[in-house]
Amino acid sequence: MASIILITLKGIFRDRVFQGIMVTALAFLLIPVIASLSMRQVTELSLTLSLSMISFILLLLSVFLGGTSLWKDIERRYTSSVLGLPLSRQRYLLGRFGGTALFVMIAAVVLGAAAFAVVLYSSAIYPPERPVIWSTMGLCILFDALKYILLIAVAFFFSTVSTSFFLPVFGTISIFLAGGVTQQVYEYLRSPASKSLSPVVKQIAAGLYYLLPNFGAFDFKVNAIYGLPLHVEGLLLTLAYFVVYVGILLSISAAIFIRREMR
Amino acid sequence: MNAIQITGLYKQFSGKRMKKIDALKGLDLEIAPGEVFGFLGPNGAGKSTTIKLMMGLLRPTAGAAKIMGMDAGQTESRRSVGYLPENPAFYDYLGAEEYIAFVGSQFRMGKSLLARRSEEVLKRLELWDARKRPMRGYSKGMVQRVGLAQALVHDPDVYILDEPMSGLDPIGRALVKDIILDLKRRGKCVFFSTHITDDVEKVCDRVGVIVKGTLVALDRVENILRSGVEGYLIHLKMPETESFSFGGIELFRRTDSVSEYYVPCSAFNGFMGEVNRTGTDVLLVETKRRDLEDFFLALVKSAQGA
Amino acid sequence: MRGTLSSALVCILLYGILIIPFTTYLRNKPFLEKLGYVPSVTALKSVAADHKEMVAASLVMKVLMYFGGLSEKSQESQVVIPPDYKAMSRLLHGAVKLDPYNMDAYYFAQAFLTWDVKQYKIANDLLIYGMKYRTWDWYLPFFAGFNSAFFLKEYEAAARYYQRAGELSGSDLSRLLAGRYMQESGQTELAINYLSVMMNGEKNPALKKNYQLRLTAFREARRIELARERYREVKGAMPATVEQLVSGGFLSPPPMDPYGGEFYLEADGKVSTTSKYAFAGVKNHKK
Ligand SMILES: Nc1ncnc2c1ncn2[C@@H]1O[C@H](COP(=O)(O)OP(=O)(O)OP(=O)(O)O)[C@@H](O)[C@H]1O
Ligand SMILES: [Mg+2]
Repeated sequence: MASIILITLKGIFRDRVFQGIMVTALAFLLIPVIASLSMRQVTELSLTLSLSMISFILLLLSVFLGGTSLWKDIERRYTSSVLGLPLSRQRYLLGRFGGTALFVMIAAVVLGAAAFAVVLYSSAIYPPERPVIWSTMGLCILFDALKYILLIAVAFFFSTVSTSFFLPVFGTISIFLAGGVTQQVYEYLRSPASKSLSPVVKQIAAGLYYLLPNFGAFDFKVNAIYGLPLHVEGLLLTLAYFVVYVGILLSISAAIFIRREMR
Repeated sequence: MNAIQITGLYKQFSGKRMKKIDALKGLDLEIAPGEVFGFLGPNGAGKSTTIKLMMGLLRPTAGAAKIMGMDAGQTESRRSVGYLPENPAFYDYLGAEEYIAFVGSQFRMGKSLLARRSEEVLKRLELWDARKRPMRGYSKGMVQRVGLAQALVHDPDVYILDEPMSGLDPIGRALVKDIILDLKRRGKCVFFSTHITDDVEKVCDRVGVIVKGTLVALDRVENILRSGVEGYLIHLKMPETESFSFGGIELFRRTDSVSEYYVPCSAFNGFMGEVNRTGTDVLLVETKRRDLEDFFLALVKSAQGA
Repeated sequence: MRGTLSSALVCILLYGILIIPFTTYLRNKPFLEKLGYVPSVTALKSVAADHKEMVAASLVMKVLMYFGGLSEKSQESQVVIPPDYKAMSRLLHGAVKLDPYNMDAYYFAQAFLTWDVKQYKIANDLLIYGMKYRTWDWYLPFFAGFNSAFFLKEYEAAARYYQRAGELSGSDLSRLLAGRYMQESGQTELAINYLSVMMNGEKNPALKKNYQLRLTAFREARRIELARERYREVKGAMPATVEQLVSGGFLSPPPMDPYGGEFYLEADGKVSTTSKYAFAGVKNHKK
């Protein structure tokens, strides 16, 4: 499995994805300039912009790498050669997923380092009111990366059921959008403000709340930007949620993929 | 134990609008270790389907395929197989050498053994100079050679090759024939599909012919060749210019003092009895037979007509 | 095969165990974290590209849902968590910068910026900004007129706004208001009128309830005012306390402040309540 992870990583690197990220990351250089336009909170604004940019790049990576990885292999008939080796489909799937996830992690680390540099620079020139808590910032980026790894698992799940790349790519984007608001919708439904809604709609929404991945939970941007404390228990719960949810997605994906015919 | 054991293998595809396509209709086949088996059939006969079922890429609708006693659905069944897919494609961002190394690692080959074998196969398939270049820059034939190299590198006991000669130049074809004969000499089992009867005639022990998902012939190559004998061209020494007929067979052709008679198998004994009685010298008996190609064409024709 | 299925089952089981504490944790996350941080509006504006209206709408939705959740808690009379009005106001201001036509933002800002936050000036500035765009909307000048008359006591400006509201709505109501209640003594009736208009026009149940509550309070106040007048007619003097009105049989049943405060008469006879017509008022008073 290690070798299939390695092959996956090599593929992503050789497709010049990393160079692409580095070019995009040049925009980090602009952040201090843009942030200095803010009168009162230069550091906070650099943090916001950096974190949003990391999120955005990771989102693109996870949707496109995750959504096309299996599809490309099947479409180009790489699967018929690779699965003709004594490599089980589970391992193949996990390897492909692991490689893609690892790449997103590497990208997060590199972009995170760039963000650290940017914020360090901003905060040195315009000292913020509240000191930046570096560990919170690191954790925020880490959980962001976890969120997008979860999204990759979603993309892989869609890839195992679909023969085209439309479902993986667009399905993943939809799940991402839906998974970002489930918490808000759910809380709205629990408030009396939603009395006029039909109970069926409420039931469906509540069902979706438990079914869809909860991406809102991984968002610690406010904590990082304003230096608010993080709660260990919450972090651990979120981490456990991540592990279990990815576990479910990958197990089901593997079960489907094993039954799939490689034509 | 058979190297390959196929019993009642049946495969149905569901095509467009729920139309069912029976690609394979109950195939039974046993290939012994050390045997070279040629799988002949026209386009769309079900050769690749059979092979994909053997590799566990497809799941049988009914029946089973076993390799070295293990069901094709099991990952471990592929551990003793070198597989060349039809129109192979490999991760094109890798070089041939890297891909071979990846394959070696999947077969848990040791580092030094892998290095040695990799060099061996790459050189033999004339990929050595291109080994570092990404495969997206390879020609069709070069990719086919990579396919052969990755099937050979771990030196398995069973080879399953889907059209190994396709896309190769005559030198390449000769090379593949050589390689297969080499494997045969070393007691390996080779199962390969092809359209080209000539390849089969030269290297195979046995041949199976599949038409429309049904095995229509299965025999040793020499049996087929023998059964294909239609008659004999008999050269007799006859200085006299007048023509004789023996057992009702007329002269076919005459050159100088040699008369040639074309004799069908059924008339052979009568003809020879007459020749002996007249004391004529027999110079040469040539066997006139259909070759494997004719055999194949006739089979396909009758099977498809049916 | 069996392996993947059983691992799926194990994971789903774990999910079932985990999901309750996980969702509980998410529900109880601090509100600031929930409301979320909104980066500078200028930045948002450029990122929002051609989706400015949608982004604005989502900001307003965010505030509405947040407030809906809170008001639920306050009505179940749990611990009253003061809403983060500042953040709400910031979001709404951001929303109208993105989409100056977003009516939700104005309506909602008006709903809490006045009684609850007492930022009448900010509320009116926002309304004036909105009037520049929503030139057809009679509600905005109606709000502004009410704020000017009731809170800011700027009767001239109030008259102007009511005039405008009347012109836009085509009804006489606002024009009547413009003349009639422009003095201290008409405040309660002015408020009752304003609140009934607001309540009838409101679709959001959380807000509607809010208006209803306040309306009840003001109706009680009005009842006291009427009792006070009768007392003066009969006794020829002003009552000193609300209790006098009740025991004298001028006021029955005794008044109830739905905000949990107590009505009292100021030195000049004006009816007031310790709650100042807001939940937060009670707390502040008791402190
Ligand atoms: N994925 C599929 N879906 C539907 N039908 C299929 C599929 N794959 C193969 N078939 C059908 O099965 C039959 C056998 O196909 P197969 O690829 O095994 O032929 P083949 O003998 O390998 O032919 P060729 O010599 O052209 O390679 C054909 O009729 C084909 O149309
Ligand atoms: Mg084929």
